[in-house]
Amino acid sequence: MDTAAIIMLLVGAIGLWGGLVLAIISYNRASRREPQD
Amino acid sequence: MSTVEPAVTRDQWGTKLGFLLAAIGSAIGLGNIWRYPYVVYENGGGAFLIPYFVALATAGLPILILEYSLGHRFRQGAPAVFHSINPRWEWLGWWQAAISFVICTYYVVILGWCLSFIYYSFGQQWGEDTGAFFIGEYLATSDGAAPTGFWNIGGIQLKVLIPMLVAWALIYYLMQRGVSKGIEMASRVLMPTLIVMLVLIVIRAVTLEGASEGLNVLLTPDFGALGDPGVWVAAYGQVFFSLSIAFSIMIAYSSYLPRKTDLSNSGLIVGLSNAGFEFLAAIGVFAALGFLAVQSDVAVGEVAQSGVVLAFIVFPQVISTLPGLNTVFGLLFFGSLFFAGITSMVSILECVVAAIREKFDLSRKVAVNWICGVAALLSILYVTRGGLFYLDTVDHFVNAYGLVVAGLLQVLLIVWVARTLDEQRAHLNATSYVQMGPWWTVSLKFITPVLLTFMIGWSIWEELKENYEGYPTSGLLFIGGGGVLLTLLVALTLSLNSRPPHDALVHAGKE
Repeated sequence: MDTAAIIMLLVGAIGLWGGLVLAIISYNRASRREPQD
Repeated sequence: MSTVEPAVTRDQWGTKLGFLLAAIGSAIGLGNIWRYPYVVYENGGGAFLIPYFVALATAGLPILILEYSLGHRFRQGAPAVFHSINPRWEWLGWWQAAISFVICTYYVVILGWCLSFIYYSFGQQWGEDTGAFFIGEYLATSDGAAPTGFWNIGGIQLKVLIPMLVAWALIYYLMQRGVSKGIEMASRVLMPTLIVMLVLIVIRAVTLEGASEGLNVLLTPDFGALGDPGVWVAAYGQVFFSLSIAFSIMIAYSSYLPRKTDLSNSGLIVGLSNAGFEFLAAIGVFAALGFLAVQSDVAVGEVAQSGVVLAFIVFPQVISTLPGLNTVFGLLFFGSLFFAGITSMVSILECVVAAIREKFDLSRKVAVNWICGVAALLSILYVTRGGLFYLDTVDHFVNAYGLVVAGLLQVLLIVWVARTLDEQRAHLNATSYVQMGPWWTVSLKFITPVLLTFMIGWSIWEELKENYEGYPTSGLLFIGGGGVLLTLLVALTLSLNSRPPHDALVHAGKE
């Protein structure tokens, strides 16, 4: 694969999947702080 | 809004995870697999990620989270929510429900196609010429080019009707079982399965000869494309359609959530899961297209397609060309499409069911019987020889002029007419770990309305330049424009009924 394509692959992967992981961590942390219904 | 807790609780999700999976299942649909990859390829490749991220942050996630807050705060379907905000705007909720109903009538037909192609995957029964097989033999689409064949309705195709009825039977079963035992149960099984299937597809695709060619074409950035307004319209359109915004689905789904729920985080998880899924799907699709291009000794651009053509004409070619495990790959691909589609289909139906139940105080069984019954009858139009033309036309018009306009009006109502955005934000922040700040307000007040208005104007401009897909003007006006107009008339008629949408708590015991 071309270098530019690899860079954009990393941008997409980090941006989307990394963002998702952070959102899940944040959700779990919030659940532990204040148990929900 | 009453804060008194009801004696009989409203239908609720069994678990938070169940809700998240159902909401992700609703957002992830056919478009994630067959639309997004081509949109990226056509609009600057890897550079498209920039407008895509911007669109996600300034329109997709803000509107999604707004819809969560509306459903959760008022705990009702869309017509009742908009009635509670301003009784004169109840029709907007009905319009969204009516559009969702129309979408159900053709979405199920595509699920039927997926079932057929799961069967055809055994031994690759589509043969050498996959285009002739799908269009000519399977759909038996009317002879002649689109302008002349459009009105040749022809007979019903049993090959298409039977799998569609099988899909309807499964959908009816899930809808009758209700929110927690039907939709949630299905989502808990189907969503993890779908993700595993997609990962398997991607692993196989990227290990094929020529995969890197496809990925280069998909991801090599053309930053010059960012100066083209059409690329930005495509990014906002992709985010808008992909997240199932303005269907009123998320209003209905979040109305079934318990009081203490982290809404903002739920919205972020659903939005990013949807985006992450389609990015992964794009990698799998273009790796497979790169393989096909190398095998066929053509450029990747020549085999790159989207929508129905990609799924039912190009991918069967890919499957037939594979060096081994052809049937397994076929089952994975069409199974993925079916699973992605059915979890979206039940969510689209659920927002209609919630709206009808609240207005007419019906039990779930009666409401589902009526809605599925009428929708199944209407869906027969799409299994005729002209069905493909009608499906394509209705899909184009209800998306471009139904959903986008309804989404714009929804934002304008909350932000500028009823001016309840601050109340919605207070509701979100009272329940959520991630606080909605100025970016959320600015996005909904200014960016989203401007962009959605621009999208509508762009669509009209494109429409006036040339007839969509070369279809006859009479067909576009009657089937497309008429379809959108009919949804509007039905919405206005239902909202003229002086009886306000019933409080959700009263009929909760009729589950």
